[in-house]
Amino acid sequence: MVEEEYQGTRQWSRNAQAVASVIWISFLTAAVATMVFFAIFDPAELAGILDAELEIGREAGYAAGFFFFWIIAALCSGVTAWLVRTAPKRNKQRR
Amino acid sequence: MGDQSNRAAHGASMYESATKIYPREMRGRFANLSRVATVTLLGLFYALPWLSWDGRQAVLFDLPARKFHLLGLTLWPQDFPYLALLLIIAALSLFFFTALAGRIWCGFACPQTVWTEAFIWMEQFTEGTRSQRMKLDQAPWSWDKLRRKGSKQFLWITFSLWTGFSFVGYFVPIRELGVAIAQLDISGWTLFWGLFYSFATYGNAGYMREQVCKYMCPYARFQSAMFDKDTLIISYDPKRGEPRGGRKRSLDHRAAGLGDCIDCTLCVQVCPTGIDIRDGLQYECIACAACIDACDSVMDRMNYPRGLVRFTTEKALEGQTVRVLRPRMLVYAALLAILTGGLVTSMVTRTPIILDVIRDRNTLFRELPGDQIENSYTLKIINQSKDARSFRLSVAGVTGLSLDGVSDEITVAGGGVLSLPVRARAHRDHAYGIMDIAFAVTAIDDERVVVMEDSRFLGPAP
Repeated sequence: MVEEEYQGTRQWSRNAQAVASVIWISFLTAAVATMVFFAIFDPAELAGILDAELEIGREAGYAAGFFFFWIIAALCSGVTAWLVRTAPKRNKQRR
Repeated sequence: MGDQSNRAAHGASMYESATKIYPREMRGRFANLSRVATVTLLGLFYALPWLSWDGRQAVLFDLPARKFHLLGLTLWPQDFPYLALLLIIAALSLFFFTALAGRIWCGFACPQTVWTEAFIWMEQFTEGTRSQRMKLDQAPWSWDKLRRKGSKQFLWITFSLWTGFSFVGYFVPIRELGVAIAQLDISGWTLFWGLFYSFATYGNAGYMREQVCKYMCPYARFQSAMFDKDTLIISYDPKRGEPRGGRKRSLDHRAAGLGDCIDCTLCVQVCPTGIDIRDGLQYECIACAACIDACDSVMDRMNYPRGLVRFTTEKALEGQTVRVLRPRMLVYAALLAILTGGLVTSMVTRTPIILDVIRDRNTLFRELPGDQIENSYTLKIINQSKDARSFRLSVAGVTGLSLDGVSDEITVAGGGVLSLPVRARAHRDHAYGIMDIAFAVTAIDDERVVVMEDSRFLGPAP
């Protein structure tokens, strides 16, 4: 154990801030998306439509759906954050 | 209260942005309030899954069975609009209370704050006060350090695991889950989500703490949009406090040209986000009111009146009258009243039956001898009431349309789903093209309980 791991309430670097917000916000988005999606679709029936031989339980279906949404949302906000942060600065001298 | 002697030495470092924050423990009115809030909210979270109602778990979001049990109420996926409405009401309430009283949610009710508080208690129990924790961190590894750190980790991890277990207990019957764990016979996904939530609790409350509020919380960023000059905020009274400075207790500081602030920096030391409230309102402030308690205790010792740092409003600080009833509040309150009223009315008056009609995908229609056209459907009848109920099924929309192979009385168990294959027939003189039809389910014991569902009847091209 390194000492710095102690209470850890220290300021984060800008990269850490970006990574944390991307992961967290996409997590929340995925939670909402999972709720709405599975309120309409039953994973057990969905599996039957996709592939008659695919036998996954509802619990696995919910989990798969959640992680799918999480990855998609994280990809989206991650790339957005990266583009915003690496955009060329506007040159104020040039008109 | 902690060690007074080293506050100057460590207090100064608190102004730097890149230091670790060791929140100092605080006693006082608001600390007590926050303790009560923490115990109540955590108590509710850990106790709720264990309560029973009518012989089953009182609060159970039974995902495998796709049913939500809330006390006497059972909700189905089809009731999703209620959940959406409930979330909108929750968001509006947050707006309402933010406009009224600032960030009291953050300071006293947010799970992040509440669990962090519990983790800090465990930290103080094993590692001691703020100054003891700082010394322990700087000290080389010793048996005592290992013992203190080890017991802290033990408490944290045990508490996190219990939290994960309780969380999963909202989705899987918790008593059966307890037995399954004892027998080491727990399903993979249940175990996964339990550990996932445990780990999130451990990381968020043990290590990330107020960084979550500062960097990851969207509410912390937009709450200022709900603020106006009448919103309750925690503020330092610069008119009273400045010019700040140290002084002897016996000194008549007014005559000496000093304000009430003795610049002891206690308000900074207790701040969990490490800000100085005397710099004015900052978005890092989560309104935990630790600085109020700190300052009040100093004011008491100096025999000055309390409230140099206090809950107040911008207008009050400027000496103006504070208005509670302002247009913003009335709009939020009106919206809240309308939505809550709508939710309650629709829940009270809802028909406790759900009817879903699925047309057979494989065949458009079948031609039977005797010039009959037949369409197949699968009906799902969900009986949301507790007791078994009998229904009559009918269909209308095409002349002479009749149902085949359906009994006059369909009984569905309480809280049950009945999947019913149904064939509807009509003479080909009346059945051509695409026609709209409607199925109706009527409760036999009460003719007023009727649920209709539209579908389509297909026939040969006219």
